[in-house]
Amino acid sequence: MSANPLHDGLRLEPTPGPTTLVIFGASGDLTRRKLLPAVYRLSRRGRLPAQFAVIGIARTQMDDEAFRTQFRDSLKEFAGTDAHGDEVAASLASRMYYVSGETDDAGLYQRLQARLTEINGAEGVLFYLAIPPTVYAAVIEQLGASGLADPPSRGWRRIVVEKPFGTDLDSARALNRLAHQHFDEDQVYRIDHYLGKETVQNLLVFRFANGMFEPVWNRRYIDHVQITAAETVGVEHRAAYYEGAGALRDMVQNHLMQVLSLVAMEPPIAFTAESVRDRKMDALLAVQPLLSNADGKGAAASPVVRAQYRAGWVNGSEVPGYRAEKGVAAASTTETYVAARVHLDSWRWAGVPFYLRTGKRLPKRTTEIAIQFRRPPLEIFRRASQVSVAPNLLVVNVQPDEGISLRFETKLPGTRMQIAPVMMNFRYGTTFGGEVPEAYETLLLDAMLGDPTLFARHDFVETSWSLIGPVLDAWRSQKDEMATYEGGEWGPAEADELMSRDGRRWRSL
Amino acid sequence: MSTSPSELLPAGAAVSFNKIGEAMAMGTCQANGATPMRALVATVVAVGPIERLGAAAEALQSLGDAGTVRGILISEGDNPAPPARVAGNTVALHGLPPAYFNNAVGALRLSSLPTLVWWRGGRPDTLDGLAGLAERIVLDDDEPESTWSRAVTLFEGSAFSDLRWARLTQWRALMAHFFDIPEVLAATADFSKLTIAGSDRMSARLFAAWLQSSLQFNAGFTVEYAEGSTKAMIDEVRLADHEQELVIRLSPHRTCLETQVSVQGHRSASRLVSLRDQTLTGLLTEELRIRARDGAFERALSRLVSA
Repeated sequence: MSANPLHDGLRLEPTPGPTTLVIFGASGDLTRRKLLPAVYRLSRRGRLPAQFAVIGIARTQMDDEAFRTQFRDSLKEFAGTDAHGDEVAASLASRMYYVSGETDDAGLYQRLQARLTEINGAEGVLFYLAIPPTVYAAVIEQLGASGLADPPSRGWRRIVVEKPFGTDLDSARALNRLAHQHFDEDQVYRIDHYLGKETVQNLLVFRFANGMFEPVWNRRYIDHVQITAAETVGVEHRAAYYEGAGALRDMVQNHLMQVLSLVAMEPPIAFTAESVRDRKMDALLAVQPLLSNADGKGAAASPVVRAQYRAGWVNGSEVPGYRAEKGVAAASTTETYVAARVHLDSWRWAGVPFYLRTGKRLPKRTTEIAIQFRRPPLEIFRRASQVSVAPNLLVVNVQPDEGISLRFETKLPGTRMQIAPVMMNFRYGTTFGGEVPEAYETLLLDAMLGDPTLFARHDFVETSWSLIGPVLDAWRSQKDEMATYEGGEWGPAEADELMSRDGRRWRSL
Repeated sequence: MSTSPSELLPAGAAVSFNKIGEAMAMGTCQANGATPMRALVATVVAVGPIERLGAAAEALQSLGDAGTVRGILISEGDNPAPPARVAGNTVALHGLPPAYFNNAVGALRLSSLPTLVWWRGGRPDTLDGLAGLAERIVLDDDEPESTWSRAVTLFEGSAFSDLRWARLTQWRALMAHFFDIPEVLAATADFSKLTIAGSDRMSARLFAAWLQSSLQFNAGFTVEYAEGSTKAMIDEVRLADHEQELVIRLSPHRTCLETQVSVQGHRSASRLVSLRDQTLTGLLTEELRIRARDGAFERALSRLVSA
């Protein structure tokens, strides 16, 4: 029974207690594009507590009213909502405040403390670091030094940190150590927005709420797994960050490893944060060192391929190559594409390769997990249909069209035995109607509720970095020119060879 | 007759390229009663000069409205930002440089399902990239010689066919039935002359190449081509030796084929067989049912090209 007896029997989804969301980086892109629209949508759905406020923090000099204007502009541009005349937006805006200052200035945190007291918002405080990773340490230290990290006797303090969490294993460990100096692990929420997507969460339900899939979810029935995160966009205005990151850090270390662990994990004993995260961790620990299963010597035999896009044609128009993008060095060696073959040492997955690929300027924007099953042991229709049956395929579409598809063979109508593949599709949008919550809505709400299930744990982050590190080291010592691919194609020839060496091919997306 | 982009899909709507998928998924350009895209089983990409895409557009729309395929029409040009038009399950891009055909197809095709390229003409070297992308390529060129020459070099990469070949299906079937008779098959080497009359010499040559690549005729075997008495692709096929003659001819109404065997001047009873659906929609439907490489076609075309 809840503390408030009036909640019993109301059939409402859980709502956080009184919360103040403190956004560091309030004038930045993430805040405008994702965080403020997510707050608005949560409010529209009635998921925010009655006592809710937002305090934006940034270097930009502005007052509360200017921040509220930014909020309304953000809704218009990124939520398709005209805030004028929208009562929800007006109500939210009235509870938005702003404090300007430098993140390494203790005075900023004193002003923040004062503001929290002034608005009576000090009970539950969620600090969201929507700032460049280089500034994380300063903010964490100052929050600790100012006492803002210490939860009050009645209330809580949590901190949300965006990826990338560190730039390598050492920096990730250092950041974790620093965070743990001022916050307990259960106060730290490392965000990976892929985990907030409905389909990614649905993977757990699909696997563990249905009795028919888990028995075949293993090496006996699955030939291989392909995980693809494809973008059509180039580096856009993120060159300053991306030049120091690249696809391996930006996408593989976090998003793809998270998705891989969800596919590969053992069933948890219960749907609790720790049980789920423990099983994901086990899956990640089973991943063999990425360079350990090379097909021979030299870069050409490597199980990890990197490449950079050159000029091409995407989304209906010609696009420049990566090195011609604004802010990118003319001789940049930053990879915009990575493909890797990953093996897991576990009873469930021994001998089953997981192929990961991610890249910018690919033909389609799509993120999916494709489970390709083994062909039937006997092809009894071969003589009649003259063609091999296509293997069954289970595809989990993470974006843009969230849902699950199953490909199976069927007989074409007619007197002859002719076989063709068909897709059985489930789509969130068309099945359930209504809006599918955006990832940031889910994650913000979970952070306010204190549910870390969909956030990365410290050991997962460090283990993931330990897998990536040797690849980065190997690339640093490689002298040969990186492979390239034309913008609008599905990657370099080397990635195709990675598959063809195994007698497989990337699926047609 | 030139065709403007809007005439390709007159009932469609102009959309920006990055909204094509959304428009098709939402069915915002859907005709009433048309099947939603979830039931589709393949992508058909029709490529060629715009004057040859009008008829293709009709066929693809028909198949798309029936819930079979997503159709992509691409006319060759030099506009790297071509206008796009969507009608139901069909999209048209006008004037795209061939260098970007693969990029466009890669972006628009249905995931996890077969892609068939319907080649209605263009630079033969464009076939190379498309062959790597598609499970099948169906050639349909008005003047196919250079296309065929290119195609034979690409057989290992993709499965090829030709709509002329599809139109010849019933002709070939009936000829094959003749040789079901053991005595006829045993006398193969005795046949000395093949005569094909019709308006489309390339179809006739393809038929002859098929027959010659499939059967062991003697060294003196000749093939003669004659003008047809109608505008039909082929009016009559006549395979003869000094004693017997096998004839397949188009019926007067041009909807059936009539077969006749003569042995030492005595004619057997003739047989009438429907020519089947020879419309573009019908022929494509037949092609969509085939997934494997067609060895007979490959042998026939290889022989024709090398002759």
